[in-house]
Amino acid sequence: MSYVHFPVIAVMSLFLGAFVCAIFGKNHDKLCKAVGVLDAAWVFALIALIVKPVVFDGEIISYWMGNWSPIKGWAIGIGYEIDALGAFFALIVVFTVLMSVIYSIRYMDRDDDIYNYYTLLLMMSGSVLGLVLTGDVFNMFIMIEIMTFTAVGLTCFRNRSFGALEAGFKYLVIGSMGSSMTLLGIALLYAQCHTLNMAQLASILVNNTTPTSVLALALMFTGLGVKAYIVPFHMPAADSYAVAPTSVSMVFSGMVNKAGVYAIIRLVYILFNTMDKGSMQVLLTAFGAVTMFVGVTMALAQHDFKRLLAFHSISQIGYVITAIGLGSALGVTAGLFHALNHTLFKGLLFLCAGAVLYATGTTNLDKLGGLSKKMPKTTICFLVGAFSIAGMPPFNGFASKWMVYQAAFEKAVEGGHIYFAFITVVAVVVSVMTLASFIKVTQAVFFGQCPIELQKTEEVPFSMRLPMWIMSALCLLVGVFYDFVNKWFLAPATNAVLNATNYIDKMMGNGYAAAAGVENIQVAPAAFSFWNPLTWLVLFVVVFAAVAIVILTGKKSRGAVLETAENVDGKYATFFGGEASPFSHVSGSDLFWGFKKDWKGYFSFMDNLHSGIVNDYALWVVVALAIVTVWFNVFMK
Amino acid sequence: MMTVNYVASAILVVMGLYTIINDKNLIKVVLGLGIVDYGVNLFIVSVGYNMGGTAPIFSISDIMANSVLFGNGGAFFVDPVPQALTLTSIVIGACVDAMALSLVVKLYQQYKTTNTDEIRRLRG
Repeated sequence: MSYVHFPVIAVMSLFLGAFVCAIFGKNHDKLCKAVGVLDAAWVFALIALIVKPVVFDGEIISYWMGNWSPIKGWAIGIGYEIDALGAFFALIVVFTVLMSVIYSIRYMDRDDDIYNYYTLLLMMSGSVLGLVLTGDVFNMFIMIEIMTFTAVGLTCFRNRSFGALEAGFKYLVIGSMGSSMTLLGIALLYAQCHTLNMAQLASILVNNTTPTSVLALALMFTGLGVKAYIVPFHMPAADSYAVAPTSVSMVFSGMVNKAGVYAIIRLVYILFNTMDKGSMQVLLTAFGAVTMFVGVTMALAQHDFKRLLAFHSISQIGYVITAIGLGSALGVTAGLFHALNHTLFKGLLFLCAGAVLYATGTTNLDKLGGLSKKMPKTTICFLVGAFSIAGMPPFNGFASKWMVYQAAFEKAVEGGHIYFAFITVVAVVVSVMTLASFIKVTQAVFFGQCPIELQKTEEVPFSMRLPMWIMSALCLLVGVFYDFVNKWFLAPATNAVLNATNYIDKMMGNGYAAAAGVENIQVAPAAFSFWNPLTWLVLFVVVFAAVAIVILTGKKSRGAVLETAENVDGKYATFFGGEASPFSHVSGSDLFWGFKKDWKGYFSFMDNLHSGIVNDYALWVVVALAIVTVWFNVFMK
Repeated sequence: MMTVNYVASAILVVMGLYTIINDKNLIKVVLGLGIVDYGVNLFIVSVGYNMGGTAPIFSISDIMANSVLFGNGGAFFVDPVPQALTLTSIVIGACVDAMALSLVVKLYQQYKTTNTDEIRRLRG
């Protein structure tokens, strides 16, 4: 039974590693690197050991700090509680950290003072791990705060580079607003329930929807949404992913926003048990759909490799939020599966971007090109990642995106809601745009002509390629053996999400949940199939609808006066005028200029929203809070 | 009796958010963050306060006999948990302010301004 101690030891080990780096690491770069790798590997082993009892066998570990177990049904101490959901996310976290520290060995060797880097990275990892394993809302808040401030530090780590400080400051302001809202929500919950333990809160809140708890839900949902970077809180995320060292961007995208997603799942499914309400489903799927659409369209307009990937990361989180917002077993499974896959392929893509940055010194798409001959191995890894994110079979992105479509469509058929059919169409269209965007990146970076400055580019060292190979292999394996992953990892985690009773009973004693009146939302196992003919038919209908939308949006320009070299931007003149400007050319990074031109109104609108002024971003947070509060107050009665 | 505290904390939070949204000076934005924090802290500490309550030194029989937790409705001691939370939150708030101000110093060195309208290299 010794494995009950492993989760707490894992969290402590990461913090301890951070302190060792901070105290002894100055001028000892090798020591820091060794501590980082060994610590991450040790923690990975610890979490891997609890996977069998918790995820495979369905046991729930409860751990009271200092053995302060509940007295007379009241939780007083701080408890850690690890169910299949927490262990699933913990596995994602430790895997991401391990990949990141292996990659950092060579990637960070051109920076000064890397003991600071390792201190912050290990501390952030520890906080995210603590966040997914804890069973106490205030402990969760502390972990969120540590996560936010180490993330700010890491964003600013290369503080002489372009925009790093600016991104860090914006992240700090928005992130700290989110934390304050979460704290206010927690305080309101405490005022109503007199406890901070999640299991007990869940059992008290289930039949007690008061104005206080509704306001607390709104505040916590907004605060945690900031941590998951859903639109409209995504602007600082795009900045910080782009300017942070790439090994950190990968960690941000792989686990920091997963921590937000995890917290939202915990909040809406376990703590408030509200996902059977239609209004809640509509709100979450609306946030998800907007997030994925805004993310992908902003990505199409980017000219920086890492910033583009950052917007894709936001877009993929939209899929996850949409799927978990559906409230069905299949939806939750799809959301968790996509969260896992997002960690794999987006981490891989960020590592490839880092490899390009390491080899060439730039991530500007207009300056890159033709690297496939110079860096063939990186190119292969990048293609695997690009196929995965664009949803090509047999890679993992296909399997999870298919599940998202299927879940959304089943929801639409079940309830006869046109709204969820619309969500399905948005998801498919976004996937198409993702593919388009990755065609652009692949063309701009790896194919096409190689600029003269990049002729001496060399492949990156082995220790940087190793994590890339591991993640590529996992992208393929998870895509091929999706049934295995579903049976052993996703199904237990989905069960944990939908069955709050087990979570409460383990922590507070048997029968506690039943006494409080907590019921399971549903226990139907997630059954899904990729090759059902009916679903194919549905796919065709949906694709047809998507094509129709695209055609209809282009209707305006049909029959219009043909643009000539005189009335169009000189850059594109070769397409219309011929000789007017013989030396202009459309570069790989501008492959979809026609699309951008057609949607000029939308893009300039989005450009104004992403104004770069921190006050505007803060305003969006407050506006979103107001909308969410009003929504809950109207519909949660 | 505690209403005035709740109203004051709400005013502080709103004032802080208004400062963050409205003020174009980086330092004032940081001050806004601080004011939001103080509002939240005041709220938490008010939640746990009982008028006329004593220090929270008690045995389990005392708590069983008097505490609101066990349905007896008595207000015999001040809830210590929110005070612990507030202390933690104050410490975190101080760290936020320190970190944000140090970033402002660095930003001023790079951009030669503290106006948020001019610190927008990353946009679009």
